[in-house]
Amino acid sequence: MNRKIGSAMVVGGGVSGIRAALDLAQFGYGVTLVERGAHLGGMLSHLDYQFPTDHCGMCRMLPTVERDVHVEQCLRRGLDHENIEVLLSTEVMAVSGEAGAFEVMLKEENRYIDPVRCMGCGLCADACPITVPNDFNAGLSTRKAVYRPSPQTADHSYRIDGAACSRCGECVTVCPVGAINLKSPGRREFNVLVVDDEQVVRDSLKEWLQEEEGYSVTVAASGPEALSLLAETPAHLMLADVKMPGMDGVELLAKARELDPELTVIMMTAYATVETAVDAMKKGAIDYLLKPFETDKLIPMVAGVYDAFEQARARRITVGALVLCGGTVCYDPTQGKNTLGYGVYENVVTGLEFERILSGGGPTGGRLVRTSDGKPVSRVAWIQCVGSRDLQAGADYCSSICCMHAVKEARLAREKSAGKLDAVIFYMDMRGFGKSFHRYRDEAETLHGVRFERGRIHTVVPATDGSGDLITRYADETGTVRDERWDMVVLSVGQRPAPGIETLADMTGISRNAWGFAETEAFRPAETTSEGVLVGGAFSGPRDIRDSVIQASAAALAASRVLHGAGGSLASTTDAEFEERDVSREPPCILTALCAGGSERLTAELLADVATALLSDPAVRRVERLDATHPGEGVEVLARLLKETRANRLLIATVMPRAWKGELENLARRSGLGTDFITVMDLGPSLGPENTPADAALGALLHVTRTGVVALRRIAPGPVSEGPVAQTALVVGGGIAGMSAALGIADHGFHVDLVEQTDALGGNLQWIEKDLEGNALGPMLADVLSKVETHPHIEVHAGARVVDAFGQVGKFVTTLKGPEENLFTRQHGVTILATGGTEAVTESYGYNESDLVMTQKELATVLDNGGIDPAGLRQVVMIQCVGSRQPPRNYCSRVCCATSLKHALALKEIQPEMDITILYRDMMSYGFSETWFTRARKAGIRFIHYDLENLPRVEVLADGVDVTVREPIIGRDLQIKADRLILATGVVPTLPPVLAEAYGVDTDQDGFFQEADPKWRPVDALKEGVFGCGLALSPGNITESIASGDAAAQRALRLLVRESLHTGSVVSTVRSSFCTLCERCIDACPYGARSLSEDPAELVVNPLMCQGCGACVVACPSGASVLSGFSKAQMLETIDSACW
Amino acid sequence: MTTTAIIPASEQGLSASLQAFFRSLLGLEEIRGLLVPLRSFVGTMPMPTLVTDTEMLFNAAPLSPVFPLSAARLAARLTRKPIGGKIAAFLRPCEIRAFIELVKLKQGRIEDIILIGIDCMGAVQNRDAKALNADNPLKYDDDFCKAMLTGSEALPDGMTLAAACRACEHPLPEGTDLAIHLLGADLQKGLPVVAGSETGEAILQKMDLSGADVPGERGAVVEAFIAERIAYRDRMFEDTAVAVESPVKLSRYFSACVNCYNCRVACPVCYCRECVFLTGAFDHEPHQYLRWAERKGSVKMPTDTVFYHLTRLAHMSTACVGCGQCSNACPNDIPVMELFRMVAHGTQQAFDYTAGRNIDDPPPLSVFRENEFQEVVGIK
Repeated sequence: MNRKIGSAMVVGGGVSGIRAALDLAQFGYGVTLVERGAHLGGMLSHLDYQFPTDHCGMCRMLPTVERDVHVEQCLRRGLDHENIEVLLSTEVMAVSGEAGAFEVMLKEENRYIDPVRCMGCGLCADACPITVPNDFNAGLSTRKAVYRPSPQTADHSYRIDGAACSRCGECVTVCPVGAINLKSPGRREFNVLVVDDEQVVRDSLKEWLQEEEGYSVTVAASGPEALSLLAETPAHLMLADVKMPGMDGVELLAKARELDPELTVIMMTAYATVETAVDAMKKGAIDYLLKPFETDKLIPMVAGVYDAFEQARARRITVGALVLCGGTVCYDPTQGKNTLGYGVYENVVTGLEFERILSGGGPTGGRLVRTSDGKPVSRVAWIQCVGSRDLQAGADYCSSICCMHAVKEARLAREKSAGKLDAVIFYMDMRGFGKSFHRYRDEAETLHGVRFERGRIHTVVPATDGSGDLITRYADETGTVRDERWDMVVLSVGQRPAPGIETLADMTGISRNAWGFAETEAFRPAETTSEGVLVGGAFSGPRDIRDSVIQASAAALAASRVLHGAGGSLASTTDAEFEERDVSREPPCILTALCAGGSERLTAELLADVATALLSDPAVRRVERLDATHPGEGVEVLARLLKETRANRLLIATVMPRAWKGELENLARRSGLGTDFITVMDLGPSLGPENTPADAALGALLHVTRTGVVALRRIAPGPVSEGPVAQTALVVGGGIAGMSAALGIADHGFHVDLVEQTDALGGNLQWIEKDLEGNALGPMLADVLSKVETHPHIEVHAGARVVDAFGQVGKFVTTLKGPEENLFTRQHGVTILATGGTEAVTESYGYNESDLVMTQKELATVLDNGGIDPAGLRQVVMIQCVGSRQPPRNYCSRVCCATSLKHALALKEIQPEMDITILYRDMMSYGFSETWFTRARKAGIRFIHYDLENLPRVEVLADGVDVTVREPIIGRDLQIKADRLILATGVVPTLPPVLAEAYGVDTDQDGFFQEADPKWRPVDALKEGVFGCGLALSPGNITESIASGDAAAQRALRLLVRESLHTGSVVSTVRSSFCTLCERCIDACPYGARSLSEDPAELVVNPLMCQGCGACVVACPSGASVLSGFSKAQMLETIDSACW
Repeated sequence: MTTTAIIPASEQGLSASLQAFFRSLLGLEEIRGLLVPLRSFVGTMPMPTLVTDTEMLFNAAPLSPVFPLSAARLAARLTRKPIGGKIAAFLRPCEIRAFIELVKLKQGRIEDIILIGIDCMGAVQNRDAKALNADNPLKYDDDFCKAMLTGSEALPDGMTLAAACRACEHPLPEGTDLAIHLLGADLQKGLPVVAGSETGEAILQKMDLSGADVPGERGAVVEAFIAERIAYRDRMFEDTAVAVESPVKLSRYFSACVNCYNCRVACPVCYCRECVFLTGAFDHEPHQYLRWAERKGSVKMPTDTVFYHLTRLAHMSTACVGCGQCSNACPNDIPVMELFRMVAHGTQQAFDYTAGRNIDDPPPLSVFRENEFQEVVGIK
């Protein structure tokens, strides 16, 4: 691709940072992804399972078109997009400039080990005497001070934990490749030269600055001595006495700066010579110190010089936009009163710790036992809302994710124990408000046998028998106090703003909300108070994966707008194309290069034996040893060898595979041999420890090299085809989501056809006056409408509907019928379905019997148009979840609880005397809307819980509505005679199945747009080039709908930006002569890339949709399905060599 | 309500009464042809024959104990695309089940075919068939059939039914439009024929046969008949399991294999146009053979014999109907059927699937479930 047309920086390498970086990179921007941790993936790298699939699935975020730019197939292993520079262990130190041109100063932590040389043998860790808690396992296991930060990354290199390391040097001794350098940078590299004729001054300065502050200090007793020292080793700072015999300080200053004009000098002076010192400052000294010294003056002054020195060394990157994806951190339950005993009783763990216990790579190897005493776990309690929805803990908000991760953990624990484990979740409201979450939660109860207990546990105490078991005491819904005994108690701890958010906010000028999260503008989900600084993921509030990913794409769109608005500035140049030898038809002739880096394990004898064995294969031309300690050095040699031997395949077996992979493009340029014909194999693991017997070492080496030879011999790269792209978009639906998507695309200069079946744009916003927070919608809608209607790149088709459509990514053809029944067609490269949703209809609770029973939407309308006089109302009852969260509409509509709170508070404000009762199953005031739930309770609004076994009963009377509900606390029926009964019926999508079908999209069982993956590709259809957003995609509030519209636009832009799309080099094809048309491969293809053509009857593959997974090859018994680059013969031979 | 009718008994015997039934069937307007085993020449094996002229049916041999090949693939070939009307096919139960598997694999269509089956008395191995030449083959067929129904095999000394038939627990026609009963029937009165579909019912009505009830004793007779076969089958599984219990024993089991691929040609559900073993995936580099030899000191040629059978098991065992044609086709008497049936029994049980049982059961390999066989695949 290499079309870097601007650059952005993403701060934070969790899933939202990765999503934002990939989105921007795929559009063509250069991206710097900065992560302060030692690996990407953030919190999710610690979690093995995500619902609803209970698998990982992170790889689904990888590019699906132009996918060859990303080599690594697993995001846990690494991110290697050619437009993304990943900077790990790196912190942002300072930000200056403005939108379009920010200068960001970065500081990288020292890892003390050269990652290129390190071959991951682990001898250093064996030798290291220091053991510390392993933070990857949430501290439940230990690691050495020299360690691999994540067991998952493809980068096998080790690093040293500078804080834990004692600098004993054991690791340096054992490292076979000399990759470790313990010399600490920083202060020790900062050389201070003290020049004073008084011994006592020299000694005390050396004492303070070297022994206590850690700088390197050299001393000189006179000017000439100082100059001779400076000539030998340059210093960064010179502290020079003014008054010295012979050469005085001022003269020294002048001569020293002749020697090194960059030298920083501070004069030391007694009171008598202050004037001289001031004079010296005119000649280049930066400051002076008055004797006798006070350390509190001296030390900050030196530190200031040191900081400037560090800053000068720090890396500076100029970018057009900043996307902050700093995520969140788990609440530390030891804060506050800690009545749950975390950190006090060993078997009280957090949810994250429990996930590590479930993990096969965790402290117990995935066995469900207590880490404290190894006792198998058979009874576990989850306690919800620890540090969330808790005013005392300073968190009057809901962390949004904990209910579902507890349900997932409980389900997994039940599964893992084959149903033997008792899993109980203690909760206040079970907030499974995501798209399929409620069904997942129901299954947990009905299929998996997880027990749900409504109630808040305040105290955990240890069992008195010293068994380590735990006792919880709680009052259940009826008020009965119950004691229960557990092997383990899991705290579902809430989310807090990521540490360091204050500093980052100060540097970037963004403001934070009451709870410390980044604050976003109303209805602009990614935009902060600082232009050009965007936020993605959970940085602006707790969010689950899906919402974080959507938010990240929305942030990418906003960043892209900034960059585009700045004219795509800061473009990097593209390398020139080069002439590649066409060797695809030549019989294989392989050059094998063995590169052991600095290791001496690859002896001449061993090499000779390897060569003899390999050369018995007629396809191997030559075997060479490459004595490069860094791949850069080897490129020239290999290019020469390739020319010399005329070899047309190259195998590099090396201890530095990752570094070599980075050099392949360069090597291809120098040698003319395409990268498809070069294979890199990792030699590291097979070289073995020092005293491996020669025959074992040879065997291991042959395994690797033979496997590589086989792969190369059979390599047959298929032609990469491309399909043209109609660089326009069609958006169906002119609500807020559709308009947001249209604007997002049009603002990048691409034409958008916006189709709205009614006469007016605006959708549901036309009847909503304010949101829960009180932000007025009118001005926002007016603003969006005017932008849409006057946009030069948007063509609005009001009163039009889609009558027919066909096509695929790059070229869809849609036939529209206009208001005058006129038919017209549009060609477009992408399609966005934003057909919206509406309030569900109901016949329950006497709705059809009386005007006194109305829906929330109807209430909004009458409140707005004066159709009701709230002042005259005395009793209002609202019922939540009418027809929602029960079959067949077994999902949460997300917006109803907030709407009811909004309306209840509004009514209460108009008529404070009014009694309002809200009958609810679980209050879904997730995120910051929780605070409005708190306000409502404070305002005296009464909340009564009901469940499906005890539905409220309603009798419509002439002058009111009798509502009877079982009040669980008193255990009796309660009768309320209400003036009005308001029903929250939820949201249903208005996505006609025929419309979805015309574009090749499925609808889910509730009629919503079926996304390719509920977490990782939340707005994409499985069929490439079609996207969903707004209520057609999922229930959600206005800001969430805007975010999904923005995300859909961003996902569409990565396609529209190209004049043509390249297929991957690994795609499947059909050998029709072998094909029996049994269509098994069509069923097997997870991407819908295969179909049967009618005439001629043939199986066809859409190469743009094919992701090269190979499922079709497995399904095909006759070998008619072929995956380029993975022929059956090649696979068989590779397996054969690997089993040698 | 299932319709049952009686095919009247003929003085010329059972085969003759079936021939008469075929004639009136082919006389129906909507049936353009009948696929039926037929001896085209005296003294030859009955071969599946597509008959359109009722005059040709005097040679039809519906009860022959000779089963030279499975007609399932032929039936599939006839129905793969619309044939311009309907044809009827008189097939053995294992052929019907194989045909249904092929329909699921899109190799044939069920819309244009009327499936007619009969209680199957089994057949001999092809190599024994020559010894059964009789002057009056139809009478021989009838006598064989009647003897089988009384519990004796009535075959020449030393000859038995093919092992596949002796181990067959599905001798009754399933999923047919018309099923003709032998077991438990009063053959003096005629042959009961039961409609298994609306199409079958309509045909029976048009054929104007007298109605009847299925005799009450059929159930017990069928049960005993099948019980004997299951007992044989289970002994066969036990013996086979021992014979292949180690890789060495498995290699020995197939040591006579010459890679002729006859078994896969004979297999009715091996539906590939060309076997993957002929597609070039196994065109090993010449030096590869040398390396293999060097590794172990010797390499048997041809290579890939056991691998071939394992692959065929992987591809086809969930569709195996146990017809035994693989063993019939083996020139070197490898007990192919015994192993395939044993493995097929296991794989089909694992997926709660019986090949050919129901057209609506999806073939196990076309269904993807994320969470199954975790103990095997090692996920979680």
